Amino acid sequence: MTGTAPDVRTTSATATAGRVSPADRASADPGDPGESGASPVAARVTDAVKVYGRGDTTVRALDGVSVGFPAGRFTAIMGPSGSGKSTLMHCAAGLDTLTSGTARIGDTDLGDLDDRRLTLLRRDRVGFVFQAFNLVPTLTVAENITLPLDLAGRGGDPEWIDALVDVVGLRDRLRHRPAELSGGQQQRVAVARAFAGRPEVVFADEPTGNLDSRSGQEVLGLLGRAVRDMRRTVVMVTHDPVAAAHADEVVFLADGRLVDRMASPTADKVLDRLKAFEVRSP
Amino acid sequence: MRTLLRLSRSSLRADKRRFAGTFLAVFLGVAFLAGTLVMGDTLRSAFGTMFGDATAGTDAVVRGADVITTPGDSRGQRSPVDTSLVRTVERVPGVAAAAPQIQGAGQLIGSDGKPVGGQGPPTLAGNWITDTRLNPYRLAEGRAPARSGEVVVNRGTAEKGRLKIGDTTVLRTPDPVRVTVVGLATFGGENGMGQVTYTGMTQTDAEKYLTARPGRASSIQVRAGPGVSQEELVRRLDRVLPEGVEAITGQESARENTDLVSGQFLTIFTTFLLVFAGVALLVATFSIHNTFAIVVAQRARENALLRALGAVRGQVAAATLTEASAVAVTASLAGLAGGIGVAAGLQALFPAIGFPFPGGDLVLRPLSLILPPVVGVAVCLGSALMPALRAGRTAPLAALRETAVDTSGASRPRAVAGGALLAVAVATTLTGVLVSPSVWLAGGGAVLALVAFVVLGPVAAGTAVRLLGGPLDRLRGVTGGLARRNALRSPGRTAATASALMIGVAVVSLFTVFGASLKATMDRTVSRSFAGDVAVSTPSFGAGGSGLSPRLAPAIARLPQVATAVGLGRGVAEVDGKGRALTVTDPVALQRTFDLGRVSGDLRGLGADGLAVTRDEAARRHLAVGATARLAFTDGTVRTFTVRAVYGRSELVGDYVVTRAAWAPHRTQDSDTVIAVGFKHGVGTAAGEAAVRKVAAHYGDPQVQTRAEYARSSAGGIDMMLTLVYALLALAVLIALLGIANTLTLAIHERTRELGLLRAVGQTRAQLRAMVRWESVLVAAFGTAGGLGLGAFLGWVLVEASDGASDSSFTFALPPVRFAVVALVGVTAGALAALRPARRAAGLDVLRAIAE
Repeated sequence: MTGTAPDVRTTSATATAGRVSPADRASADPGDPGESGASPVAARVTDAVKVYGRGDTTVRALDGVSVGFPAGRFTAIMGPSGSGKSTLMHCAAGLDTLTSGTARIGDTDLGDLDDRRLTLLRRDRVGFVFQAFNLVPTLTVAENITLPLDLAGRGGDPEWIDALVDVVGLRDRLRHRPAELSGGQQQRVAVARAFAGRPEVVFADEPTGNLDSRSGQEVLGLLGRAVRDMRRTVVMVTHDPVAAAHADEVVFLADGRLVDRMASPTADKVLDRLKAFEVRSP
Repeated sequence: MRTLLRLSRSSLRADKRRFAGTFLAVFLGVAFLAGTLVMGDTLRSAFGTMFGDATAGTDAVVRGADVITTPGDSRGQRSPVDTSLVRTVERVPGVAAAAPQIQGAGQLIGSDGKPVGGQGPPTLAGNWITDTRLNPYRLAEGRAPARSGEVVVNRGTAEKGRLKIGDTTVLRTPDPVRVTVVGLATFGGENGMGQVTYTGMTQTDAEKYLTARPGRASSIQVRAGPGVSQEELVRRLDRVLPEGVEAITGQESARENTDLVSGQFLTIFTTFLLVFAGVALLVATFSIHNTFAIVVAQRARENALLRALGAVRGQVAAATLTEASAVAVTASLAGLAGGIGVAAGLQALFPAIGFPFPGGDLVLRPLSLILPPVVGVAVCLGSALMPALRAGRTAPLAALRETAVDTSGASRPRAVAGGALLAVAVATTLTGVLVSPSVWLAGGGAVLALVAFVVLGPVAAGTAVRLLGGPLDRLRGVTGGLARRNALRSPGRTAATASALMIGVAVVSLFTVFGASLKATMDRTVSRSFAGDVAVSTPSFGAGGSGLSPRLAPAIARLPQVATAVGLGRGVAEVDGKGRALTVTDPVALQRTFDLGRVSGDLRGLGADGLAVTRDEAARRHLAVGATARLAFTDGTVRTFTVRAVYGRSELVGDYVVTRAAWAPHRTQDSDTVIAVGFKHGVGTAAGEAAVRKVAAHYGDPQVQTRAEYARSSAGGIDMMLTLVYALLALAVLIALLGIANTLTLAIHERTRELGLLRAVGQTRAQLRAMVRWESVLVAAFGTAGGLGLGAFLGWVLVEASDGASDSSFTFALPPVRFAVVALVGVTAGALAALRPARRAAGLDVLRAIAE
């Protein structure tokens, strides 16, 4: 685990080298329409603004972000703490609502949906992997995996679920309770659950944040395989450059704005890019 | 859906401890309800069987047809029949045997010199009917009375008075009669007819002591010969009976007796218990609501995860309600079983504690099997509904937050709504009390006030806990301060926990205030109306007791120390068609020892056909001095009386006064209920009292009391009632305390990490325990304070509304000592409730607690 955000902040050697020029930001901000036009977009936010609090305590968590997440791709959202990356994901996934702007899953505008329809959309078209507390402790592994399908009253596709169980390697643990599994195993169950209903897009919020590096690698590997072998779409929030390196593309957020995009990232490249933000606003 | 069901089931299993409180609350409430219903039915049926058995040999009863009922006496007074009628009856074809039955009041003195029974049920004396099949009592030991002065007593009475065969004692009829016990009897296979005491004497003795003159009996018991049905017997009897005498079948007579016991005693008894079952269930509602509210708050992350994964609101709410149903159904069924068990246990227990209730199988009517579980489930589901709906509204994002803290409570809309409700409640109540007196208006306002208190609870919780906990900071330092802040954390939860206790305490204080007010009223009545120095009375209550010998008052009057001694007897008559109690006395002496208020006309000139009436009654019945009224007596005679005086005050004396001369021709078994004695000038109370006591000793040794003692003993029954009420309310308070304990346990579970942190930075186990305990005490103190306030207010409303709405006047009294005791009990109980949660909290492993 190298290059976490606080570490980056203490390194001030490359003070100006990585600073984003106004030109860079201008070209990055519109969300790179050229690329999103090329392949279909699984999820997208446009001019997204999210304001928390009222009066003196107002926080603009998102300050006019427009970004699309192409289908069949693994996108990582990165940025320092408080950059709005989690908020962006929550709003794009329909867990939270925008103050202004629009969020879409496929062609559906989430702003048009009431609580019930939003819930059904999450259930049927979106998958989630959270940092922690991903599983219902009182249900078995098998029950946890099929939970969204059971909630919908759908049987799901037994072959697909069967295949998923093999991919995450938990066949011998199906009858166990989450408490009987290691953190990495729990997170693999969460990944299987996220893909169980073949959602249009899976959102993962710091999925490796609570794991040791080996377990983290396994989970990231699973997410990557799901995208490349099974043509799924994954959007992952992380602050770990190593995790981000598993993605096809990284989008960088700072102060609630989209500041950069990077295709074919490596851990080093991402780390360098992050260092540039950190020193800019000490 | 299957998964959701499974989810509910597995969370139930995982959270067993959390639902223990809910289970107990529902269980206790339902058990109370079921026990009351089953016991009521069982007793009703057992009394029916007992009367049926006891009077199985009686096929018909011949008795006076006229009955005069006065308010408060449902049995009424029947005219006696002539014993000579027995001859006539015996000659009727189909009659095998007939015997006169004489029944009157007679109280036995036990071997310890104290009267037996008399605290509620009647103390009966009668002639021992020698025809064994006509006598409801059966001789169990010894023999029947043969000579004057020999008696048979029922076994229960003998046991209570420690009387054996061969013992000699006194029977107050009310004249003291020396009697020797020669036999012991049973009634319908039991040791007695409930708590009723019975003394059987010879026919001659019975006629001498229990009737006004020989040749009169209460009724004639008739047995039919073979092949004659009860109905046929009654038809034949009817042909020969004179006017004013009727015959009923033995079955009808048994049913009347059963109905009398059921109506007079059992219905009041069961209604009373049902009210308390209701209070217990109301308190349970709060405990249950609280448990689910906390469980839902604690499960916020799990529910949020479900919501994030696509569970719609209804699904999450349904999962919580499923849990509630499971607890409700289990607890209700267990409660039903428990209630039946309690009824069975009480049936076994009553005889053991000297309460000879008749035996017999438990009676399980469908209603008592269905109603309690239905109420239990309804209460449980109703209480869990709001928390369940809140669970459904959980924001999906809550899954990602560190902890979900329940800060519901002190919102502005709640304060506004509660304040408005309270204003309406107070306005309604005050209108009902002060402007246009109406018990209904006042009662409605009181209920609204209760609701307002519950709504305002969370708003008040903050201020109240800060206020009550103020001294804690200084007294207990950091521990006290932490306890106070913990109690303040979630005002909604604190208020809901305290509300349960508040309602329990409010009902306790309501009864306390009402009891104290009744006593104060009695006190004021005596001090205002009773102008004598000492009162002579027999300590009795309800239908029991035999009263005082009418010869005692003249005997006391002859004492050199005594200026006036006036006895107040009781008679009944129909005054212009309405049954009324008459006070039979010497009106001249009456005026000297009782303050009768303003008197118009002249009490001295009542004579044998004169009547004195209170001003209120006179106004109601359109009577005035000089008017006439027709009085019909139980012996069938009707006389015209002239109103010769109208007096102002009815307390103690009653609405109608007639002279002894006027009553004498119609009297039955004569007795005085109280004798008021005024001493001559210069005679000390102690000396006078001693002289009176000496004379009274010859007349069955009744109680001689000073004015103050008399006032206090007049209110004696109230204390007995209060004790019973407290015992019953203990259950409601227990449920409330279970609620506090449960909330604390859940709160500790929730704060495991925090408690671990406190321990890690150096809080000792003792300090931790103290912290939990003080939090509990604060919540209990808040509930108790609210309950005392609400109870005092409701008591005031009840007293004032009764005062305004009825013609008797009530005095409001707030008993400070009792209130202090209730407060102390509430706070102590709070500390007790914290025992287990505190021990659990102190037992936490520090490292594990932090890691959680």
